Amino acid sequence: MKRNDGCDGLTGISSWFQEDGLRQVLQEMEALYEQNQADVSEAKAAGRADLIPSIKLRHCCLLRNQRCVVAYLYDRLLRIRALRWEYGSVLPANVRFHMSAEEVQWFGLYKKSLASFMRSIGGQEGLDVTQDMKPPKSLYIQVRCLKDHGEFEIDDGTVILLKKNSQHFLPRWKCEQLIRQGVLEHVMS
Amino acid sequence: MSDALSEDGSDINQDDSQEDVMTPAELIDKLEQAWLNEKFSPELLENRSEVVECVMEQLTHMEANLQRVKKGDAKAGFHRMEIDRIRYVLSSYLRSRLQKIEKYFPHVLEREKSLVEGQPSLLSPEEFAFAKEYYANTETYLKAVALKRMPPNLQAVDMLKAVPEPSLDSFVFLRVKERQENILIEPETDEQRDFVVDLEEGSQHLMRYRIVAPLVSSGAVQLI
Amino acid sequence: MDPSEVEFLAEKEFVKIIPNFSLDKIYLIGGDLGPFNPGLSVDVPVWLALNLKQRQKCRILPPEWMDVEKLEEIRELERKEDTFTPAPSPYYMELTKLLLNHASDNIPKADEIRTLVKDIWDTRVAKLRLSADSFIRQQEAHAQLDNLTLMEINTIREFLLDSLNCMYKLRSNLQPGATKGQFADY
Repeated sequence: MKRNDGCDGLTGISSWFQEDGLRQVLQEMEALYEQNQADVSEAKAAGRADLIPSIKLRHCCLLRNQRCVVAYLYDRLLRIRALRWEYGSVLPANVRFHMSAEEVQWFGLYKKSLASFMRSIGGQEGLDVTQDMKPPKSLYIQVRCLKDHGEFEIDDGTVILLKKNSQHFLPRWKCEQLIRQGVLEHVMS
Repeated sequence: MSDALSEDGSDINQDDSQEDVMTPAELIDKLEQAWLNEKFSPELLENRSEVVECVMEQLTHMEANLQRVKKGDAKAGFHRMEIDRIRYVLSSYLRSRLQKIEKYFPHVLEREKSLVEGQPSLLSPEEFAFAKEYYANTETYLKAVALKRMPPNLQAVDMLKAVPEPSLDSFVFLRVKERQENILIEPETDEQRDFVVDLEEGSQHLMRYRIVAPLVSSGAVQLI
Repeated sequence: MDPSEVEFLAEKEFVKIIPNFSLDKIYLIGGDLGPFNPGLSVDVPVWLALNLKQRQKCRILPPEWMDVEKLEEIRELERKEDTFTPAPSPYYMELTKLLLNHASDNIPKADEIRTLVKDIWDTRVAKLRLSADSFIRQQEAHAQLDNLTLMEINTIREFLLDSLNCMYKLRSNLQPGATKGQFADY
């Protein structure tokens, strides 16, 4: 049996949740468990000590399967967690597409926990710790707009229009997330 | 305009409930030390909520002052840049902690559970709430998707065994802030003997985190 | 640690600038700066100096050590000694890079300085590699690393610490014991 073959590359979720694989492993576990149940009663009733090694072997297989399944699921959760930091709280459809309903639910709960944590910092508005991912370099940076994004308000109240191919001189802290989302691109001078 | 920005933001000095009087500059130093220690220590360190709160207060105060400043004021830019820098350190510090909480959640929570009276808790109340939710969500998820579909004797996973523990035997780089004598270094191999070193103020070292963990907590050494 | 973070810390160092504007004293959270008067030198953190320079508001005075003769001496000493000599500044590499990239017109003999600093850096990093190698070979438990700068430590941090941790794991796995972290290894 192939196990954990659904583990994606290093980051991100690039393959579907392996529902079929999971089902197969669970079926195998059920079969192993039933055989063991039968052998255990046989061993007890008829005193067949010769069955004990195969019972033990099956039990090891069961434990291994459990471990593999949990490791696979947990590994995906860690990737899904990373998505919150990469994309923000709204996932692009093509990413969401690869997640199971339960994973989407877990992501929602993670998002919520993180949000209430961030709100609670410092008492007032809180602090968005998913911003400021890189050390600040200078006050303003030159950015190019890669797609139409609409109006965008800067701290001092000025509203600018983020139109495809337009260039702007913007405060770094306002564009960080848009750069990560691929809306803006930092133009190196 | 100068009114809005000439306060040096020394509010915390006037706060009587604050035990040790700290200037804002010292506060920022404290934050940076906590940040580097947290970055380099393999385990989660004790929370520094008081520092986080004071820094947040300073930032909010400064932001509020900046709102009152006229556009194009030269000083506002300087303050903006400084706020940016401080906010970066603060966010990065809190992120390091969150990452460790997520990475080691069962162990972190276990540590909180087994606190002895008077022992400080590692987690701030907010982090504690976060860790508990993370644990519950993850456990619920694993149960719903797989564990409850497994044979009866395999429906539980011991999270403490399943999630790796921080390795206190990791090596760390450190700088000594307060001189220490007779630090016992255990050998790496059986053929070697253990020995002691004195850590002179200002000297830098490479050794296992476990040896200096108490000194990191007390502030006698700084991880670098 | 990301090199950009080491650079971030280096930007806290102070340099002298000659501003071409006047401004009252300014009260930052981290301390007071100024007052600024045209033509009068004043100490500011590098992050501010670079920003002012970017906007052509000042001229940056190179730090004392950023001088061809001084750096030549340091280079010779560094080549002669087996141990690490005191670095010109705890952030000599980052400051050289920052100041030469953004204010080379304010730094006399910028190209020579760039080469000298690179020579010093290369010599020191070569020593560092040798000592890291021997540290691992001898399976040592402690090393004193005075005079190493943060950026230098940073160049070997990940590789050295990961190697040490791997070796430790290999050694401790030889002894039977509880294996933890089942989620991580399958």
